[in-house]
Amino acid sequence: MIVAEQKPFEEIWGMIKDYKKVLVFGCNTCVAVCHAGGNKEAESLGSLLRMQAKQENVDIEIKDSGIERQCEHEFFDSALKLLEWPDLVLSLGCGVGVQFMAAKFSDKPIFPGLNTTFMGAVESAGVFTEKCQGCGKCVLAETGGICPISRCAKRIMNGPCGGSTKGKCEISKDLDCAWQLIIDRMATLGTLDKYEEITPIKDWSTERSGGPRTIVREDLQV
Amino acid sequence: MISKVNIDPDRIEMFNLSAAMGSRWAEICTEFTAKIKKLGPSPIWIADQKNSKGLTQTKE
Repeated sequence: MIVAEQKPFEEIWGMIKDYKKVLVFGCNTCVAVCHAGGNKEAESLGSLLRMQAKQENVDIEIKDSGIERQCEHEFFDSALKLLEWPDLVLSLGCGVGVQFMAAKFSDKPIFPGLNTTFMGAVESAGVFTEKCQGCGKCVLAETGGICPISRCAKRIMNGPCGGSTKGKCEISKDLDCAWQLIIDRMATLGTLDKYEEITPIKDWSTERSGGPRTIVREDLQV
Repeated sequence: MISKVNIDPDRIEMFNLSAAMGSRWAEICTEFTAKIKKLGPSPIWIADQKNSKGLTQTKE
């Protein structure tokens, strides 16, 4: 899922305080799981902003609402009427949701309430870790199911590097060396012979560095 | 979270009680009321008072 964090309250307040009608708009899928931008968070943030407005005696009306997903047209149907009301929408969706809304409601400012961080997993309650960078050419079958692109600081394809010490990465003693994890996992799977094979230079053209990506599935088009 | 808007977090507390714990509920209400009284008016209430006075003066 996409993991995000709410922007600092002061930053959010600074963005919205000059508007008169603000809708704090949650996205109840990925960013709800990481407790940053779901409809529940939209409600809490809306309350906080109203309290702030009252204390600063700022004339601003703040409502909160949300939908299940801000990155698909059909989910907006229930909120179209409400979205006519604000002169600013503070989206608690990820960067995808904010941009999708900005394109859909082109005459309305859509501001981000979150800092979108990574694609990750829920390691344990309140702990989210990056697992995938969407490189467009998955190598997990060759690396024991552990991604060297997202989990190795250097994104190297033939590791570990000289900075790996006692299973930890040189950038932090708290960070596991991805290549140590790969070797350990391949040993467990009995596939260490594959580790000996030199992986050729990765084709990065499928990654973000090849420009923004689009997938067209003609079989799904209506 | 509420400390971000200048509200003392002591003003909020959560209790889990069963419907059969009436006397404990009364105790909690009494204690919490005393605590809130000790903390004094909330900044929201103060702002409300100030803002409504401001409005009255503007009208005058």
